[in-house]
Amino acid sequence: MELRYDVIVVGGGHAGVEAAAASARAGVRTVLITPDLSRIGQMSCNPAIGGIAKGVVAREVDVLGGVMGRATDASRIQFRMLNRSKGPAVWGPRAQCDRSLYPVAVRRVLDELENLDLFQEMVGDLVLEGTRVTGVRTQGGITFYGTAVVITAGTFLRGRIHVGQEAGVGAGRAGEPPSIALAEGLESLGLEMARFKTGTPPRIDGRSVDFSRVERQDGDDQGIRFAAYTEEIIPAQRPCWITWASDGLKKVVSDNLEQSALHGGEISGRGPRYCPSIEDKVVRFPNAPRHQVFLEPEGLHTTELYVNGLSTSLPANVQRDFLQTVPGLESVVMTKAGYAIEYDYFPPHQLFHSLELKEISGLFFAGQINGTTGYEEAAGQGVVAGINAALKVKGEGPFILRRDQAYIGVLIDDLVTRGVDEPYRLFTSRAEFRLLLRQDNAVRRLGPLAREVGLLTKEQTQVLKDRLDQENKLVAWFHNTTLAPKDADPLLVEAGSEPLSGSVKAVELLRRPGVRARDLLGAASADSEIAEAKEGLRTGVLRAVEVELKYEGYVERERERAARLAEQSKVLLDYDLPYLEFETLSYESREKLARIKPETFAQAARVPGVSPADLQNLLLEVRRAHTREKQSG
Amino acid sequence: MDVDTIAAISTGPGAGAIAMVRISGPVSSEILLRLAPALEEMPAPRTASVVDLCEPGDGEVIDRAVATYYRSPESYTGEDVVEITCHGGVIGPRLVLSACLAAGARQAEAGEFTKRAYLRGKLDLIQAEAVSDLIDARSRAFHRAALRHMEHGLSTRITALRESLVRLEALLVHHIDFPEEDEPPVALDVITEEAKRVVQELDALLATAPEGELLREGALTVFAGRPNAGKSSVFNALLGEERAIVTEEPGTTRDALEETVQLGGFPFRLVDTAGLRESDGRVEQLGIEVALRYLKGADIVLFCIPAAAKTSAEDRKFLETTAAPVVLLETKADLAEGPERDSTDLKGLAGAVQVSALSGQGLDQIRQLLPELAYSGLVGGLSDQPVLTRQRHIRALKIARSEVELFRNSLEGGLPAEIASTHLRPAETALEEVLGVITVDDVLDVVFREFCVGK
Repeated sequence: MELRYDVIVVGGGHAGVEAAAASARAGVRTVLITPDLSRIGQMSCNPAIGGIAKGVVAREVDVLGGVMGRATDASRIQFRMLNRSKGPAVWGPRAQCDRSLYPVAVRRVLDELENLDLFQEMVGDLVLEGTRVTGVRTQGGITFYGTAVVITAGTFLRGRIHVGQEAGVGAGRAGEPPSIALAEGLESLGLEMARFKTGTPPRIDGRSVDFSRVERQDGDDQGIRFAAYTEEIIPAQRPCWITWASDGLKKVVSDNLEQSALHGGEISGRGPRYCPSIEDKVVRFPNAPRHQVFLEPEGLHTTELYVNGLSTSLPANVQRDFLQTVPGLESVVMTKAGYAIEYDYFPPHQLFHSLELKEISGLFFAGQINGTTGYEEAAGQGVVAGINAALKVKGEGPFILRRDQAYIGVLIDDLVTRGVDEPYRLFTSRAEFRLLLRQDNAVRRLGPLAREVGLLTKEQTQVLKDRLDQENKLVAWFHNTTLAPKDADPLLVEAGSEPLSGSVKAVELLRRPGVRARDLLGAASADSEIAEAKEGLRTGVLRAVEVELKYEGYVERERERAARLAEQSKVLLDYDLPYLEFETLSYESREKLARIKPETFAQAARVPGVSPADLQNLLLEVRRAHTREKQSG
Repeated sequence: MDVDTIAAISTGPGAGAIAMVRISGPVSSEILLRLAPALEEMPAPRTASVVDLCEPGDGEVIDRAVATYYRSPESYTGEDVVEITCHGGVIGPRLVLSACLAAGARQAEAGEFTKRAYLRGKLDLIQAEAVSDLIDARSRAFHRAALRHMEHGLSTRITALRESLVRLEALLVHHIDFPEEDEPPVALDVITEEAKRVVQELDALLATAPEGELLREGALTVFAGRPNAGKSSVFNALLGEERAIVTEEPGTTRDALEETVQLGGFPFRLVDTAGLRESDGRVEQLGIEVALRYLKGADIVLFCIPAAAKTSAEDRKFLETTAAPVVLLETKADLAEGPERDSTDLKGLAGAVQVSALSGQGLDQIRQLLPELAYSGLVGGLSDQPVLTRQRHIRALKIARSEVELFRNSLEGGLPAEIASTHLRPAETALEEVLGVITVDDVLDVVFREFCVGK
């Protein structure tokens, strides 16, 4: 059988789902092929979306017309704003989700899309014409032809699961077969390949937990949503629980270290430093008195709990033993053992910023196959790969997010410029323009871009317009309105601020510490302008305006820095520059630049290990090359 | 590829026993072999060899010289370098250079050898600048400051400060990125204390700047006083030569005379000026105006009064024009015991010396007093502190200082950490620019323009 599409997406995880949705929304015929349609949008590790920086990515994916925001709102059973005690620029929305509701919501959103078909089969091979991909073949022998192919294989490429020291079992996730033929096919293209590992903790039966011995953690209010365009119905809420692992657990783990797949040498790949297994924590921080453990509900209709903080590859009996040293878990029943998984990934310097492979036209990679970890990181890449696959079909230039535009831009630039030597996770510290990349301004940053690329429906475009109009009106109100002492003083005193001697602009008052936008709006004498500004205020609008105005000076400074960087990005570097021949550069820099092939001078400056002197020389060499070209041409 | 080979006479012009022509670039060794046909192969690196140099064209012998080959990257520029030490004089070195150019080298631009050394990573920018300073140094103290920069004194300090800032940012960011980790956040006062320490270190460096800048130019030391007070005699005595014309006649000095002199190893620009008095003479008046201008810009004023005379209201009026410390020189001390003088109300009085140009009395006292006044922070020999002598460094360090201070103030003022930390990166950037982490060609050109050819 032969089938024809424009874009073929291989894989139905968080990257695959977003790639397929973006491609379909951009108006090209798309098919998503995955071995098990019932597991589309599966949360294979912790059933939670968001967190520091990651939560911003989830919002960015949503604003770009993605699935993740809506699926999260529709399945969240506990919501918290992390870093609420810190400044609003680093708030991180995080939702605990119902593991079974999330994929249902994903499927529902996908089914709304006109240009998208789904197909259940494992893909075995690529179809190529020279260095251009033209389709894929399934293991059952069906050929799908298309102009662009997006591979989002997650941990399935030669995936191997380890529990303890017994030889690992081939698997893409627990209970699912790995993808071996596709891995071999990709390797035979001459692509560089490496191995990573990651792990999960055990799950336990909530009925066996002594909740009197653990601390209850309730969620925040539901005022903040992930989805900007659609109001999903938020399910009932559940608490999480906190307990602490200390000496008893450390002893069990240390006594059995040699039985760990991670520490006994069974696994060769590198694991994430930022999401360490309990074996790693015990070995690397022997002096830490205790380690925090979160017990998180797996869903509304199950008693199962996810033991966040105790990811491990020790044998199942050791896992049970160490769990039972933790307060509250003394007689716990384990429902699923934790495990480590190792898998193939393709070092991402082989990609353009569009996530298309440099050496194979039309082939895109997104998600863990590029060496990242996390649902949000995968989804962010998925959106970008999906959009670019569609643009390729349309013969249009790539869609690239800059580092000062989105965390997704930071993520992808880091991947292709710096490469990875451990599974890559986003942090706010990876972004040099943290103040610009906030959860509250995702709509303003990316909404107009999404509209331009054609990712939004008519309804979504209207919502976007309304929201930006509201923001603009509010901003104008704060700039144009002056408050008299009698109106402002009560709230100023409340905020611990000096009372006024005369009338002052609302925006000036907003910049004072502790003064809230909402209170200022309330304090203003009723006039038609404010009534208009306040009318039908959408969720998050006031917050976005408040943060933008309160820290305007700082935000402006970051924008100026970003603009200076953008100047450097205007110096384009040819793809085929003969870096190895640039003898004025150190050998190390020549090799690195030849490997990364930066697209701009600014990107070259971010390649690790390239010294300032080498950058100077690079500029000189490029100028010489240009002069020569002019002379000879 | 495409890097050319440069050559220049690296020693100063004029008659000298020997001169040195330096060649740097990929074809340096070929050039030597063409100039010295008797050489069958390149001499071993870093070994002096006697060679007969001939014109590459007609083979006419130019000179017998010593050639030393430095193989890349173990050379000043990091490229292949040949240094030819030939006989000095006006003609010989030029013949050798022309032969090099005829054999394929290009005449080097000013500072080009050092620029190449920087671009090849052999020197950082501060060191490259120090090379130029070493050459220009006209005092032991400035030479010493430059040498310290060559030895990484300033680079090390600035690198360490930059790392402190990066660490500060890391401490803050850890708290932002890992709010639910096992360790509690770093206490805010740990961070503000560290910021304070960085500011203190920057202040300590910046405190050397005023004197550092003086080191470069020399402290402007102005002789002033009424006509015939003996200014020119003391001026000449300190220079050790009859630079200014000295007569009995008041008002002999009309224009200002400026000479650079080293006192106790520190540079001074001594200026002899016209005597200060109300005058109708056109020329003398102009001279007095010049003197007043110097007084305004002076770093030190040497106010001369004959030991036998009294200070007048007019003297005091002239001293109003300067903000510099004033040293009272009671001149012609050999002629008369001074009157009981009450000088305590002289503006800015920083010392008084009885001096006689004739007997030499008091001269040593002046030589000791002036460095103490102009360079109080540097006198007393070698402190560990690198001295800031360049505007470029001073400007950048001031920016860094003000940003770190803003950072600390905003944290203490209750602004969120991620807002306050926006001040850290500009501070880091400022420090990086001092070290040469820059990407704008113009800045480099400015730095290397100050060089002489051959370095």
